[in-house]
Order: sequence, then C-alpha cells, then structure tokens
Amino acid sequence: MMPLKKLIVFFLFFLSVKQLLAGQTADSVKTVKIEVQVGLQFDVVRFHVKPGEKVKLIFSNSDDMSHNLLITKPGSRLKIVNEALELGEKGPSMDYTPNSTSLLWAIPVVNPNQIKTISFTAPQEAGVYPYVCTLPGHGFIMFGAMYVSADGKMPELNNDPNIPPNRRLDTIPAVSVQHNEHKESGGDKIKNVKPLHPYVPVSPYLYRVFIEGASPAAIAVSLPGDLSYCWDAGTCRLRFAWSGGFLDNSELWKGKGDVLAKVVGTIFFRDKTEFPLTIGDPQTKQNVDFKGYSLINRYPEFHYTLNGVDVYELIMPKADGIGLIRTFRIPNANKTVWFNSDPANGTSYVSSAGKWTSGKLKISSAKAKKFSITMSRKEGGSL
Amino acid sequence: MISRMTRRILTGVLFCVLIQTLNAQEKNGSYKVETIPMPEGLTSETGGVEFLPDGRLVACFTRGEVMTYEPSTKKWKLFAEGLHDPLGILVVSNSELLIIQRPELTRVKDTDGDGTADLYEKVTDDFGFSGNYHEFNYGPVKDKDGNLFIALNSSSGAGNIRPEVRGEINPLGRENGSKGQMFSNVPYRGWVMKLSPDGVLKPFASGFRSPNGIGFDLDGNLFATDNQGDWIGTSPLHHVQEGKFYGHPASLVWQKGWSNGNPFLLPVPFLDSMRTRGAVLFPHGIMANSPTQPLCDNTGGRFGPYSGQLFIGEMNKERIVRVMLEKVGGEFQGACIPFFDGNGLRKGNNRLVFGPDGSLWIGQNSHGWLGDQGIQRIVFTGKQPADVYTMNLTEKGFDLTFTQPIDELTATDPANFKFRHYYYKYHNKYGSEQFDVQNVPVTAIKISDDRKKISLTLSTLKPGYVYELTLGNIKTSKGDELTNKIICYTLNKLKSANF
Repeated sequence: MMPLKKLIVFFLFFLSVKQLLAGQTADSVKTVKIEVQVGLQFDVVRFHVKPGEKVKLIFSNSDDMSHNLLITKPGSRLKIVNEALELGEKGPSMDYTPNSTSLLWAIPVVNPNQIKTISFTAPQEAGVYPYVCTLPGHGFIMFGAMYVSADGKMPELNNDPNIPPNRRLDTIPAVSVQHNEHKESGGDKIKNVKPLHPYVPVSPYLYRVFIEGASPAAIAVSLPGDLSYCWDAGTCRLRFAWSGGFLDNSELWKGKGDVLAKVVGTIFFRDKTEFPLTIGDPQTKQNVDFKGYSLINRYPEFHYTLNGVDVYELIMPKADGIGLIRTFRIPNANKTVWFNSDPANGTSYVSSAGKWTSGKLKISSAKAKKFSITMSRKEGGSL
Repeated sequence: MISRMTRRILTGVLFCVLIQTLNAQEKNGSYKVETIPMPEGLTSETGGVEFLPDGRLVACFTRGEVMTYEPSTKKWKLFAEGLHDPLGILVVSNSELLIIQRPELTRVKDTDGDGTADLYEKVTDDFGFSGNYHEFNYGPVKDKDGNLFIALNSSSGAGNIRPEVRGEINPLGRENGSKGQMFSNVPYRGWVMKLSPDGVLKPFASGFRSPNGIGFDLDGNLFATDNQGDWIGTSPLHHVQEGKFYGHPASLVWQKGWSNGNPFLLPVPFLDSMRTRGAVLFPHGIMANSPTQPLCDNTGGRFGPYSGQLFIGEMNKERIVRVMLEKVGGEFQGACIPFFDGNGLRKGNNRLVFGPDGSLWIGQNSHGWLGDQGIQRIVFTGKQPADVYTMNLTEKGFDLTFTQPIDELTATDPANFKFRHYYYKYHNKYGSEQFDVQNVPVTAIKISDDRKKISLTLSTLKPGYVYELTLGNIKTSKGDELTNKIICYTLNKLKSANF
C-alpha cells in the first residue's frame, strides 16, 4: 500500500506547490483562497507570505453551516477562541469576534455558499500567525497557520504543530479502509487499521449504501469468493456485480455522508434490460414495490411485488467464483414468466427451466414458482 | 483522515472524561453522569437509543450496526447490521424493532430466535429520496391510536441530488433565487409524515428544515425540534399539528394544490402569515445551537421533580435542556432552561431515553458536525434539585415556581431578576441576530406563603419576543445556590383575563 501513501504525499506536495505558485500575482498581491471541507476544517491549513507583503484572503464557505475566519497574533489562537466563547449571547451580533488585543484581522461570519474577502499587509515581524473559526466549538479544531517569513521555510507537514493534528501527513492512515474482507490472508494486509465495526464482517454481508450506478436506495452485498453485487431496492433489481473486492466506505463514513461508496474490484455484470422479469403480457407496464429481505444463512433473499405478484430473489456465488446464481421464487405465478437478458450485460446465462429465444427465457407459470439463472462472466469480461 | 481526527478528539474526550469522572456530578449533587463502555471497534455515532421490554438497551449507529447492551453485565451484542444511517428506533418487542434509516422505515426482526435479526421488512418508503446527504430521516414515534410519525429532513443546498432518484422530481425552489438554501425536490422532504395502521403514509405538517427530534408529551401532543439555519432564526421546538406550516418554505412545493410557484420567491410577510411559530425558541449561543430529541419525563418522579416536562438534547454543547410548557390562548408556549451542563456530560447529545430504573440515557453523535460519540446516562441521586420548576406567564409578568422553598431575602431582591427581551427575524438568511434587545425592569415581586413561588411584575410584555431571565444569587431556604440561572420564555401570546 506504499504507492497510495506516496501518491498522497505527492498530491499534497503538488497542492502546496500549486498554491504557492498560484498565490503570486503580477502586482505582488498574494491571493489565498480558503474553502471549508467536512469535519470543521479549512481546506488550506497553512500558507506562506513575506513580511510586509500585500495579502488578499478569499474565504469561500463551501460548508452547510456558518464560519468566520480570524487571524491572530502568534500563539494567540486559544486565547481568541476563549474570548469569543465568553461573548456568550453577544456572539452572533459580534460575528463571534472579540475585541481583543491579540486579534489582527477578521472575516466576519460567512454564511453557507457566501464568499467574503479581506486584504491586509502582512506583519513585518516574522512568525506563525494562526487563523481560526471562532464559532462556538469550532475553534478547537478548525484552524490553520499563516507563515510570515522572508525565506518561506515551513516545517514538514507531518511535524507542524501549528496545524490541526489530523492534517499532519503522518497521521493519514496508509489505507483508511478494509475493503477486502475476502482475502484475510492477503500479503498486503494493513496493520493498525482501525476496524470498521466491532466485529469482522463475514461474507455474505451487506450495506445499504450510496453507490454509483443505482438509485439512492441501493444495497451492496459481499459474497464469499470475492464476489459482490448491488441490488437496488429503489428499482427492485440486480443492477451490477463485481469481483476482486467489496467497498471502500472510508469517504462515506468520515463526515456527513455526502459521497458515494467506491466499488473495489472489476464490474463484470451490469443489467441493461428494461426490467429482468416480465409476468404475463410483455406490453404491461411494470410496477414494482420493494418489500424487504430475509437473511437465509446470511444471504439476503429480496422480496418485491411485480404488478402485485410476489417475487423473491436470492443470489449466491457461482462455485467457480466467476458468476452468480440467481434463484427466483414466484409462488403465486399464474401466467407465463419471462426473464430478459441483454448481450451487453457482460455475462452468459444458463437456466434451470424454460426455453431461451433471442435472449429471453420463457418459463411456464408452474416452473416459475422456483427457477434459477446462472450468470457466468464472459471471457475477459469487464464493464 | 477524519476518522483519525475523530479518534484524536475521542481520545481527548476520554481523557477529559477520566478527569471528570471524579467530579461527574452537578454542584447540588442531585444528578450525576455515568459513561457507558462501548464495544471495541465500534464507531459509536449513536443514531438511536431505546429500551427493550427485558431491560436491555438497544442502540443503532451510523455504520449500520444495531446492538443491545445488558446493563447488569455491561455486555454488548450485535442484533442487526447493514442499515443506512439509522437515526431512530421504536421497540415492538424483545425481538422486533422499527428503525428509520435513509431509504425507509424498516421492521428489523429476529424470526428464528437466534438473537440476531433475519428479517428486514419495509414498513414504508413512500417518500422521495434524492441521495442528497442531508436527507436524514427521524422517528418513528407512535401515538395512542397506533399511528406512526416520522420526520424527513430537507435537502441541503450545499449538496446535490443524484442522477437517479426515488420519487417524482419537482425542481421548484432550487432552480433560482434560492441558492444554498435547503430544498425539497422530492416528496416530502421537510415534512412530518403520518403512517396509519393500514400502512398509508400521508404528509402531516410542513416547513421543517432539519427536525432531528420528534416526540410526544404525556397527553399525546406531538413535538419536534428544528435546527437554526436559513429561515430558522434560532432553533425552535414546535407543537406539530396536522396541516400546519412551520416556517421553512422548501417543503411547500409538496403541499396539496400548491400553485404559488417557487416558495422562496414569495413575499416574506406572506410566508410569515402562513407559518406557525415555535412554541419555544432556544436562543442560539445561549440555550442551544442544535437541539435534538424531545423526551417527556414519564418516570413519575424517579428522575426527579420534572414529571411531564420535556428534556431535549443539545449537539453543540455539553448540555441537556429542559422545557416547561403551558397553554396560553389555546396554544403551547413556554420556557427553556439548561438542565444539566458539563460535569462530565459530553457534547453530541442526540438521542434520549429513560431506562427502566428512571435514569436518562443519552446517545451521542457528531456525524461530521460538532458533537461526540458514545452513550452516557444521567442518574437522579434522590437529592431534590435547587432549580426553577416552572415559569408561567401572568397578565403582568411571570410566576416562577421553584423545586423547593427559597430564601425570601434573596428571592425578593429585584437585582436578582434581570430580564431582557428580543426577537428573531423570519428571513432567508442563515440564522438571525437578536433584534430590539431591551432590558425589561421588574417593577414588583411577590413571594408565596410556602416560599416556592415568586410573582414578578414586568414594566412591559410584548408578544413575539423571547423573555430571557438571568437569576442572581438566589438561595434556597437551606442555603443552596440555584443550579441554573438562565431561563428563556417564548412569549407568542399574551395572557388576557379571558384565559
């Protein structure tokens, strides 16, 4: 996993270089743009200016709550934070900005999606000048540092006491994810990764989760044998399947949930049909209603209605690890049932009953009470 | 990265807790805090806490776990997993729960008796779901007739909607004039919904921004908190009644027969005339910045003297708030006062429940905002608190009733009653400052014969204002200091001789 860490190092290096370069403008006004990232953090945790340099600070509040930005004298961040707290009920009307001898400049409260700017001349005196949001509670974790010096030297990021501890490089987990529960004995197993749960998830298991390629009501299931699939409770169908890993939920769980879980592995199946099942007349509009799922030996059997008829679908891994076995139950089937496939789906099909005609499987109502479709990944299949 | 940050904060918090356990008792010794040990490996962002009939606690967490805790053995056990941001539990039996999660209200049931859930049955998902990160769902709570109520968060203007959504899309209120404001592009974001026993989910009341807390009082009145933000000047507690609109315009696009176009573009006075004001306002920065679940004291005295009053969690401070309500002019209004501050209590007080022994259990959460993790409980030691018991509006001022007799000398000194009034503006801005902040002199003080009640006459009383009272150095007859000294009464209606 070293490459990932190196990548992160490189990326952060690139960012800081980019920021330093982009900050210099022709009229020697240093422009610094600061936004907000999840978890009460300024996206820029430190920047450098020269003594006496003209600085333009643009604070763009990309968060969903209000923040301010106060620049203090060296070593005065906590003092200002406490002074702001002491404002009590006067806080809001004073933009949580105390009248303090330690305060140098302040951007008042910026509401979500607003931008406010200040311009100032950097102090002549070299030093580390903290900037901080002083809204109640924020100031203890939401801060950064303006380095004023002629030479532009700053400590290594991982050794910088002037930025929030979690933004120092060495504290970034090498891999903040245990995506691959399938390979317990894998050679690249990461040590000291915080467990995701108070137990080790054992496949099969599932997450209801935001994931690309499905409705927000998606269900991601990890199967034994390094296979996973996404069944969509919003549309009542298997959407896609992949092999080689499960999910990376690290981004999903670290903040407010404004991200998608990432698929780890290779997607080998994606259903491109209008709907995989038809009961009776193919011209009838398909109305589905999700009912839930039961766990059978921990495998979820999904339950929904299709035009009012109960349908159950249980998905197991194919023994050779390169496909899925889908068992449908339609206990009250009283019409012919069709299973629809599409050549672009990425798999070949074998069924336990019925007859295939140009990609459609016709199953009698009697046989439709329970039938299986085995889907095998096509050679070299990857979607 | 953040998880590491959370861990560091948590470590810090744990350290503080270690220091504070020595002193985890408020100054009068009426209540103390205990911290519940959490299972190793659990990210204990707590979305729900309830008790099972057999006395076990059941809690759900952000990463989808549902776990039970046996207080006598301090043992945790996994009951269910895989849920999407579960934020509320209603207990049906020892083996069956209703849990609200992002996509739906789900029945989670152990049908084979092995102690873990094997049935996850949809109870209702008959509402829109755009995938916007702010679409949290709250509840369910049940009324006496078996109806369930859930609350649906509005969607955040800081986020988007997914390319594929569940439910009809109505872009009104997002395409112009409302950038950055909370929106409701799929049905019924920003509504409290009612699920009748026949399984039909119907919109019940609108105008909510982020109603992270819904609950009944002992008489079956439904209450919900909301969070300060756009259109919400300061966080309120609403008495939720069918058909009413509580102020955030986004949800109006789903009102039956809505024909007024983009609600954000309507004149504010028009919106204001439609809205029902908060029964109680929590002044921002003073009382609460992010109130959560209202929980009615149904312990019959086992948790102290506040039976029938509401306790409300606060996310941003180490605080539980207490609310005392009364009906004036036919509507609820009343006062809020801190109940428990600090003394080992953490932030992030998201979910509350009374245990079988009458102690108050608190599930804590942060979820990317300010807060903490874990579960604590507050235990009544049996010592009568020294506090304001009720604050009631009179024709000329307020009556304050205390939990025990008070010292006449300090309680009749006008210098010990500092009133200010102010109001919050209804506008599209994020939050509101306090307007028309004025000191209101107390012109007369009367103490009752039993020395438990003080009648205060104020120079003026104006509807639409918060009356904030700061108590000075008032002592009880026994010489104890009052625990909480700031109390805010939301005066929506004046008391006339007719009532």
